[in-house]
Amino acid sequence: MTHQFPSGRALGAFLLTSTLLLGVGGAASASPPSPTSTADAPMHRDSLVAIALRFRGVVDTAAFQCGTRYANIGTSKASVTASDFRFYVHDVRLVTKQGDTVRVALSPESPWQDRDVALLDFENGTASCANGTPETRDAVVVMAPPNDYRGVAFTLGVPFARNHEDLASAPPPLSLSQLFWAWQSGHKFLRVDLRATAADSAPTPWVIHLGSTGCTKATPTATGPASCAHPNRATVSLPGFDPAKDVVIADLAALLSRADVRRNQPATAAGCMSADADRDCGAIFSSLGLPHPAGTGNDSPRFFRIGQRAPVSVGASR
Amino acid sequence: MSHRRRTRLVAAGGLLLALFTPPLVTGQNAATDWVWTLPKGFPVPHVPVDNPMSASKVELGRHLFYDPRLSGNGTFSCASCHEQRLAFTDGRARAIGATGEMHPRGSMGLANVAYSPVLTWANPGMKSLEQQAIVPMFGDDPVELGLQGQERALLQRVSADPRYRKLFAAAFPNGQELVTLDRIVKAIGAFERTLISGRSPYDAYKAGAPRAISAAARRGEALFFSEKTECFHCHGGFNFTGSSNFVGKGFAEIEFHNTGLYNIDGKGAYPAPNTGVHAVTDDPDDMGRFKAPSLRNIAVTAPYMHDGSIATLDQVLDHYDVGGRTIRRGPHAGVGSTNPYRAEFMKRIGFTPREKLDMLAFLRALTDSTFLTDPRFSNPWSHR
Repeated sequence: MTHQFPSGRALGAFLLTSTLLLGVGGAASASPPSPTSTADAPMHRDSLVAIALRFRGVVDTAAFQCGTRYANIGTSKASVTASDFRFYVHDVRLVTKQGDTVRVALSPESPWQDRDVALLDFENGTASCANGTPETRDAVVVMAPPNDYRGVAFTLGVPFARNHEDLASAPPPLSLSQLFWAWQSGHKFLRVDLRATAADSAPTPWVIHLGSTGCTKATPTATGPASCAHPNRATVSLPGFDPAKDVVIADLAALLSRADVRRNQPATAAGCMSADADRDCGAIFSSLGLPHPAGTGNDSPRFFRIGQRAPVSVGASR
Repeated sequence: MSHRRRTRLVAAGGLLLALFTPPLVTGQNAATDWVWTLPKGFPVPHVPVDNPMSASKVELGRHLFYDPRLSGNGTFSCASCHEQRLAFTDGRARAIGATGEMHPRGSMGLANVAYSPVLTWANPGMKSLEQQAIVPMFGDDPVELGLQGQERALLQRVSADPRYRKLFAAAFPNGQELVTLDRIVKAIGAFERTLISGRSPYDAYKAGAPRAISAAARRGEALFFSEKTECFHCHGGFNFTGSSNFVGKGFAEIEFHNTGLYNIDGKGAYPAPNTGVHAVTDDPDDMGRFKAPSLRNIAVTAPYMHDGSIATLDQVLDHYDVGGRTIRRGPHAGVGSTNPYRAEFMKRIGFTPREKLDMLAFLRALTDSTFLTDPRFSNPWSHR
């Protein structure tokens, strides 16, 4: 699974901290932060290895596919067909068996990821996703010191420092206009476009565009906002995740589990485009662990969970 | 599920395309004397690897673009349907060719066509300017320039002009034959790539001049980029269209949308032959899907839509305001807002009268008057 990275290549420094991940279960919390963790993993660049963190887009137990109609979605048990399924992640951290959190650098792999942000893409430009891109991506590649990792954390979204760049000069993966919102509010962190079908209605659009809102400019012509009232960057922690064996599952059925995709609050965007005043966002934000005035609490299920990789010959992949 | 990306050559020019197919590969600029002078914040356009830019090639292409000898009866040039003062449109609802035949669709503007990953209104397979130029030249359904069957005569006409012999020799210094069809379309493509527009009042405003556009236009900008209107979903990016490509982008984005302009059978049909991407793929889901054109210079490119069926920008806003046009009577009667293929972002907006005026002010702020009068893009034959 892991590959030695060519030596001599300057990579962004990673930080080794002894911070415990929030939400780590009882067993992991029991092990105290190691005071000697820095010495245990000397920070020689040459010693970094590339680790691919695998993601899988699913709808409940089925692998996501463009054009497929999925039944039993959300509180109204609707059928949905998706026409987009993409998201950005950044600030990736791995947790060692000892419980130490290692902030790891993204390995630049154009066009999918640069040092700051990575794109996951489960639409392939066919069928209902015809306005998308043919290329797909199901991994985030990080550079990390060799270790046995048993946990991953990341942030869903684009970091603020990169979120409000001019789209025309933004390098990939931030060059996609379909994932750009507006220059004030930046990029769509997560884009899931759906059409919901019910026995009694024609397919109606229900769209999830997650991004920062309430972004105000310092001056009328400032190139970017000074701040955003609602950054809407979701922190995801998956304790126990083994990069060699596990996969991060992004489950649209879980994302939509609290939502009624056959209804839309009048005078708001169709679905949820992250507005504070759009009560349809409450159900979605809760699945992402984000605060929202109409939120339903932070109970499960969540959009992201740990899954098993498809059984493969472990020996051959090492 | 059938393949949505399946492409078929349009009838017009199909035979010739089979004989003449320039590579679709695009890439970085080859080393030439060419240096792009781009508006602030504009990326570098892709240039086909087999047709690098050069000043002499652009100059040749400009001469060809404006030359009526490129039509079968000597009356029409590219510029007949692509007039600079109208941002390279023609002011007609639907174009009229050299023989008087009416095209089913309107002439598209050429501003920033260099950034377009797909050309014409609704053909996913039309990806290079060189490939596209063949269609108006040699197509017979409809006849545009009317050159079908006149390849040899065309080359003879052009070769006979000493001015062209000089221009071709400068643009294509190598090779045995001086004037070829391949060189003609390459030169036209090179000229078209220089038609870049990005110096509107809105661009000045974005570059840091807060008074370059009116308060109404600034309010219109906010509306344009709001979830109330959703305009930016299909007209996003520096070129105000979802389909843009450039050097370093890393992905090619190509979008087609049904905006509920028609719904003549209650099942989403658009009037033939203008059924959008469907006309190319025969896929029912492609009904009424057309490219969202750039909105740059939109105030000078009336009438609007692929068939010119909306006369003014004001009426275009009415169409979007109700989430799709309703035609009450006639062969095209139908309620566009209930078109089942309508794009996700089409919905009732509910403009107030003032919001509509603000939107119009914003759209008018996208007019780049320097582009409409730039002598580099003008007719070189009129200065003889």
